[in-house]
Amino acid sequence: MRLARLAADRWNRFWFEPGPAAALGICRVLFFGTLLLWQLPHDFWPWGAYSSVFWMPIWLFDTFHVPALSAPAIAAMQAIWKAALFFAAIGLFTRPAMAIAFVLGTYLMGLPHNFGQTQHFDTLVVFACGALAISRAADAVSADAWIASRRHPSSGPPPDDGEYTWPIRFVWVAMAMIFCAAGISKLRHSGLDWIFSDNLALLLQRQQYHISDGEPWTNWGLWVAQHPWVARSMAASSVTIETLFPLALFSRRARWIFVPAGLLFLVGIRALMGPTFEQFMLCYVFWIPWASVLSRGRAYFGSTQRRVDTPAAEGAASALS
Amino acid sequence: MRRGLVNLVLVAFIAGSAYDTITDQEHWPFSQYPMFSGTWSSPTFTWLRLFGVTADGREVVLDANRFVAPFDQSRLPKSLKRMLELPDGAARMQTALPDLFVRYEQLRHERRHEGPPIVALRLYELEWTIHPDAANVDAPDSRRLLGEVRP
Repeated sequence: MRLARLAADRWNRFWFEPGPAAALGICRVLFFGTLLLWQLPHDFWPWGAYSSVFWMPIWLFDTFHVPALSAPAIAAMQAIWKAALFFAAIGLFTRPAMAIAFVLGTYLMGLPHNFGQTQHFDTLVVFACGALAISRAADAVSADAWIASRRHPSSGPPPDDGEYTWPIRFVWVAMAMIFCAAGISKLRHSGLDWIFSDNLALLLQRQQYHISDGEPWTNWGLWVAQHPWVARSMAASSVTIETLFPLALFSRRARWIFVPAGLLFLVGIRALMGPTFEQFMLCYVFWIPWASVLSRGRAYFGSTQRRVDTPAAEGAASALS
Repeated sequence: MRRGLVNLVLVAFIAGSAYDTITDQEHWPFSQYPMFSGTWSSPTFTWLRLFGVTADGREVVLDANRFVAPFDQSRLPKSLKRMLELPDGAARMQTALPDLFVRYEQLRHERRHEGPPIVALRLYELEWTIHPDAANVDAPDSRRLLGEVRP
């Protein structure tokens, strides 16, 4: 009984520790804003023009009988989705915009996976959209909040609340579980051979043969592959970062190591191997401690203001004297 | 009430993620994230690749994503390979290759790539011995014709 209560307390403290509305609002602006910028040049409608022979539905589409829509229908859906991303970013009609962004985004981002291969760079984006869709992310740093403050000038900013913490922590947990699952997959299917064999060296060389969803940014992988100790060190680092990433959830010190290391790891994959994890990287905005950034910003600008005020005040005083 | 709903979502998400990780299954958007989890030890590998055929009979390798968008050079070969492994794979290929031909030409007309006009499209299985500098990327050890479309 006591153990259950302790677990419940810890659960509640982790998810619902009171936090400022502005921190979640900033995450919302940056997440939907950068997602919109990333997706603007991407078209989903051509998937609707392929014959049904290409259609090999994944679990979600198969189970819920989600159809492959026509190209014009996908084009319309895509336009609405991108508009929803825009409204969600600026925070106007935010709740419906975020709900539409989640529902249509799940269809559009899931659609390509029904054409023969499931790729994994967008699952975190789908989960983040889902969490934000049911969150109160529009209570600050939004057009909705600004309009509400104009209508009710006496109402101040919302007090700190757990409602502004759990969506951020949700993205943390989702990212940690994704990294950890990827690490476990490697250990399950290959064991320590994944690290101590020539596996990574061969992978790095093979990726130069135009076989990825994105071309590697560099050909440095070839250099790494020619230095076995470098390749094995990178392989060991990869598995360590992935498998131990969940430590970042519980230890502030671990957070300072694993969160930047995870980002570097993704950049490394993109640079050396090609797979396009840019969307996944957008979710790093949730790791920035916006509450501290805001309070430090206020302190800095407050002191700057005082520094600016002081000479003027002194000048005025001396003029009077 | 609301706190209960949020807790339900959190528990469902963690349970779904853990289930796929433990059972080594995929239920997108949940997944066990198996990418690159196998150990690669062979010095050779095979990959499916499209080639365009120009009016003068020249073959042009379509090895950039812009030639096959919205497919890419990872998803398209895997899709075609899965298709060929089906009982009606050959019949499916008779529909799939014309689709890819039309898409290539459509992208060319929209100036989304700089490839030449083509009169036919061929699908090959290429085999390479991995070279330390990938210097043989344009010179595979062998290739096997799997299909051709000439509309």
